[in-house]
Amino acid sequence: MSDLDRAIAQLRACRPIPEAEVRELCHKARELLIEEGNVVTVTAPVTICGDIHGQFHDLMELFRVGGDVPDTNYLFMGDFVDRGFYSLESFLLLLCLKVRYPDRMTLIRGNHESRQITTVYGFYDECLRKYGSANVWRYCCDVFDYLALGAIVLGASNTLSPSGDGEAQGSEEDIEIEVCNADGQIMSQFPRQPRGAGNSINRQPPRGRSPNGPTSNGVGPSGTAGGGAATGGAGGAVGLPTNTGPPGSGASGSSGGSIGNPAGAVLCVHGGLSPLIDMVDKIRLLDRKQEVPHEGAMCDLLWSDPDEIDGWGLSPRGAGFLFGADIVKVFNYKNDLSLIARAHQLVMEGFKEMFDTSIVTVWSAPNYCYRCGNVAALLELSEDEGGLGIFARSNGDVNRSDGGLIGGGSGVPGSGPRGVLMENDLASLKPGPARRYRVFQAAPQDSRGMPAKKPVADYFL
Amino acid sequence: MDPPPRQPAPSPSPFPRLEVLDRSAAHTFARPAKLINDGPDVAHFLTSKAYRDIGTFVMQLNRALCPRSKTQPTDSAGIESFTLGAGRERDPEPVARLRQLLQRVEAFVDEAPPDPGPRRFGNVSFRTWHTLLDQRADALLREFLPRRVLEFPSTSAGAIAAELRAGEEGGEEQGEAGPLDEVKAYFLGSFGSAQRLDYGTGHELSFLAFLGCLWKLGAFESEAADSERALEDVERSIVLGVMEPYLQVIRRLILTYTLEPAGSHGVWGLDDHSFLPYIFGSAQLTRPIGEGSGEAMPLEGSLPAAPRPADVAKADAAFDRLRRDNMYFSAVGFIRDVKTGPFWEHSPILFDVSGIRDGWGKINKGMVKMFNAEVLSKFPVVQHFRFGALFSWDQDPDAPAPAQSVHMANQPASAIATPPAAAPPPVAAAAGAAGIAAPWAQATRMPPGTGGGPGIPYSKAPWASRGVGGGAGGSSAVPPLPRGGPPDTGPLPPTSFPKGVPGKANNQFAVTKAPWAKD
Repeated sequence: MSDLDRAIAQLRACRPIPEAEVRELCHKARELLIEEGNVVTVTAPVTICGDIHGQFHDLMELFRVGGDVPDTNYLFMGDFVDRGFYSLESFLLLLCLKVRYPDRMTLIRGNHESRQITTVYGFYDECLRKYGSANVWRYCCDVFDYLALGAIVLGASNTLSPSGDGEAQGSEEDIEIEVCNADGQIMSQFPRQPRGAGNSINRQPPRGRSPNGPTSNGVGPSGTAGGGAATGGAGGAVGLPTNTGPPGSGASGSSGGSIGNPAGAVLCVHGGLSPLIDMVDKIRLLDRKQEVPHEGAMCDLLWSDPDEIDGWGLSPRGAGFLFGADIVKVFNYKNDLSLIARAHQLVMEGFKEMFDTSIVTVWSAPNYCYRCGNVAALLELSEDEGGLGIFARSNGDVNRSDGGLIGGGSGVPGSGPRGVLMENDLASLKPGPARRYRVFQAAPQDSRGMPAKKPVADYFL
Repeated sequence: MDPPPRQPAPSPSPFPRLEVLDRSAAHTFARPAKLINDGPDVAHFLTSKAYRDIGTFVMQLNRALCPRSKTQPTDSAGIESFTLGAGRERDPEPVARLRQLLQRVEAFVDEAPPDPGPRRFGNVSFRTWHTLLDQRADALLREFLPRRVLEFPSTSAGAIAAELRAGEEGGEEQGEAGPLDEVKAYFLGSFGSAQRLDYGTGHELSFLAFLGCLWKLGAFESEAADSERALEDVERSIVLGVMEPYLQVIRRLILTYTLEPAGSHGVWGLDDHSFLPYIFGSAQLTRPIGEGSGEAMPLEGSLPAAPRPADVAKADAAFDRLRRDNMYFSAVGFIRDVKTGPFWEHSPILFDVSGIRDGWGKINKGMVKMFNAEVLSKFPVVQHFRFGALFSWDQDPDAPAPAQSVHMANQPASAIATPPAAAPPPVAAAAGAAGIAAPWAQATRMPPGTGGGPGIPYSKAPWASRGVGGGAGGSSAVPPLPRGGPPDTGPLPPTSFPKGVPGKANNQFAVTKAPWAKD
C-alpha cells in the first residue's frame, strides 16, 4: 500500500492526515494541475457534481450513490470547502483521489477556493483549529490557484446507459432525462421532445429564444461557424459530425479530428458566464494561477449566476454578474455547446434546468448548513457509442445507442411522471445529452463519531 | 480586588455606567451616520467614544445579571439569581412600554405574510415587513418611548416642536436633529437588512445602541431608582425584559422570512445570527458576588446548582426548562430548532465552550473577549454602525494608543502566504499570536501583480488589543483565534429556485457574498 493509498484510507475514515503529508500531497497536486489547461477536456461517461462545502459524510454518500473512484469518472465543480465541519477532510480526500487517479477525477475551482473567501466562510478557521497553525490552509490555498476554471465534456450520448438498476425502463433511447433516487430507483423519466414538434400540453414558448438558436426539427446545422446549433444535440449529429475539433476550441481537426459530439459538448464551470468571455477559447487564455480576482473574467466564471433577466445584470453577491437566457443561448450556439453545467447556487431539489435546458445547476450538499432541508444531486452523462469508438468505455453495454441519429422524433410528449422538472422547462426541452440525475439526502447522522475532546478556544483560556 | 487598570482610570468607579446626560443643559443631537467605510476606520472606531460607550454599557448590563449573594461567605440560601420569565410584572414602566413596542413590531408579521410563491432566497415579504417598520417607526417611538426621551432638551430650537408634531411627515430630514432622530436610527438598524434579507450581530449591536441611547437620555431614570440596587434592577430588566423579547422577535423574523445569517463562518462561527445572549446568559449563571459589595465580575466559577456547561450539548427535558430561564440556553435552543445534525458538528464552538471546566464565569469572560474581537473589531460587522451625538465618532481621550496590534505590525501587506512558517500553535504570547493571526489582514488582499480591483475594505481591520470598557478584567490582547462573529457582508443573496418549490421553510441560506462588496 502506497503512502497515497494509506492517506486515502485515512481520509475516507474522516481522519486528517499529518501536516507533512498534506504538504507533500499539495506539492504533487500542484505539479499535476499545472499541466492542465484552464478548461479541461473530459470525455463521457462522467458524473458531474456541485458544491460540497465540507460536508464529508454527504460526500461519502455521494460516492455511494454515484459509484466509487476510480470506477466512476467524476467531475467536481468546486466549492469543496467552507461552511461545513469537514472542509479539510473533504478537500484533501478529493485531492488525494485526483493525484491517485488523475484521469478519473476532475476538480475545477469554485469561488470558495480562495484565500479571501476561506478566511470569511470557515475553512481557515477549521485548518487553524485542526492543525493549530495556518500552514495547511496555506498549502491548500496554493493548490486552489492551480485548479482549472472549467471543463468541457465531450462524447456524451443522447441516450442513457442503463442505470444499473433492474427496473423496467422502457425504451431508453427515448429518454432524455431520468431522475433516480439514492438507491438507483427511477423516480421519473422525461422523454426527449422534438424541437419544434407539435406542442404538448403546457408547452409554452421559451423565453428569450436566441435568434441563432433553435434550428428546425432534425435538421443539422451542417457547417455553420462553430459547427452546431445552439443546443446542437441530435440535430447536429445528423449525418455524423461536421465539426471535428473540440467544441469550444473553435478549431477543427485537432485531437485526431475524430471527436464528434452527437449530443453537443457540455461546459462545466462553477458559477457561470462572463461578459468578457464570448468564446470558450478566451477562458483558455486567462492566467489562472492566482488568487481569484475581485473582478474580470476569471472572477465572473466563478461567481456569476443565471437569472430570469435579459442580458447581463449586476449580481447581488457583489461579484460576478447575472446573465439571462439570451446570453446562455448565444454562448452555447457560438461554442457548439448543448448545455452548461454549473453549481454555485443552492437548489432545493438538487438540480435545476433553466432556459430551455441550456443550463443546469447541480447542487451536491444535502441539508446545506444543517438547516436548509434540501436534497442533493449529481448528474451523469453517458458515453456515446455511436460508432466513433474512441472513448474509453466503462461498461459493456451495447446496442443502446442510436449513434446520435435519434433525431429526436420518438419522444412521447407529455407522458411520464413530472418530477421536479417543471412543465415550462420540460415543454421546451431541446435535444442535448441524455441526463441522469441521482438525487440523494444527507448521510445518516448515527454514523458519525463524536469528538473525544473539547479544545478550548483562546478566548476562554 | 479590582483588576489593575492599565491606564490611569478615567472613572472613579471601577464599574462605570453609561453616563446619563444632564437635562439641565440643551444637548446637540445629530442624525447618526455611517462612518466606517474602510478598514482603517475600524481602528479609529476602536478608540472612539462610541466604542467606549458600547463596552461600558455591555459590561454594566453584564455585571447586573451576575447573581448576588446576601451573605458572606456565600451560602446558597442567600443567593439571588436572575432568570427569564419571572418577575416581569415588576419591570419599570419604560421597560414594559418597550416590550409593548416590540409586540407591535412583531405583529407586523401578520400584515406581511411570507410570500408563498417560489422564492429565490430570504422571503421577499420581509421587505414589506421592514417597510411597515420604516413607515411606523416615528409614531411607534413617540407612542412608546418616555416623554423625557422625546422631550430631551435640544439645542435645535425647532426640534422639540418637531418631535411633538407627531405624524407630520417629510420635514424631519431637513431640520436640525432631535433626540428621536438619533434613537430611531439605531432602532431601524436593529431588525435585519431589508435589502439583503439577512440578520446578524451588526443588527443586534444596533439594538444594544438603541437601548444605550435611551439610557443616556434618562429613559430609565426615576426617583425610585437611584440606589445601587435599584439601578441594577433596572439594568436587569433591560436585558431580561427587553433584550430577550427582542431576540424572540428576531427569531420569529428569521423563521418567518428565512433570513440568512449576515455573513457566516459556517459551523465555525459562534452562532449564525446572535452574540449578546451568550454574554448575558453566561452572566446569569456566574458565581455570585456580594450584594452591594463592589466585587468585580467573577472570572470563573458558577452559581451553585447552575446547569453544567456540558448541559448545553444535551437535548433533554432539563434543557427545555433551561431555555426558558436562561438567555444562553434560549439561544442554543433556537439553534437546535433550526438545525439538524450532531450539535458538536453544526455548532463546534459552542460545543467546545461546553467543555470549559472553570464555570460560567470563565465562559462569560471569554464571551466578552470574543465579542470584542469578533463583533466590535470586525469591519464586516461594524461597518453598518452609525455615529451621532450619543454614540460619538469622536476620539475617546482616555483610549489607549491606537491599537496597532502585533498582527498588523508583524504582517506586511504583501505577506499573503508567508506568516512565520514555524509559528507554533496558538499561544497567548504575542509573538506566537502573530504567527497564527487570522490572515484577514493579508489574505484579504489580492496577490501582488494581479492588478486593480477595489480596495478590500477590511484588509487592515485590526484586532482590538484592549479589553472592552471598564472593569472587564480582560486581558490586554485579544487572542486572534478565528471565530465568527458573522461578518455582515455583501448585498442581496441570489438564486433561482426550481419552479414550484415545496414550501420548505429554510430554503435559502448562506449564499456567499463577496466580502469586499460595499453597500
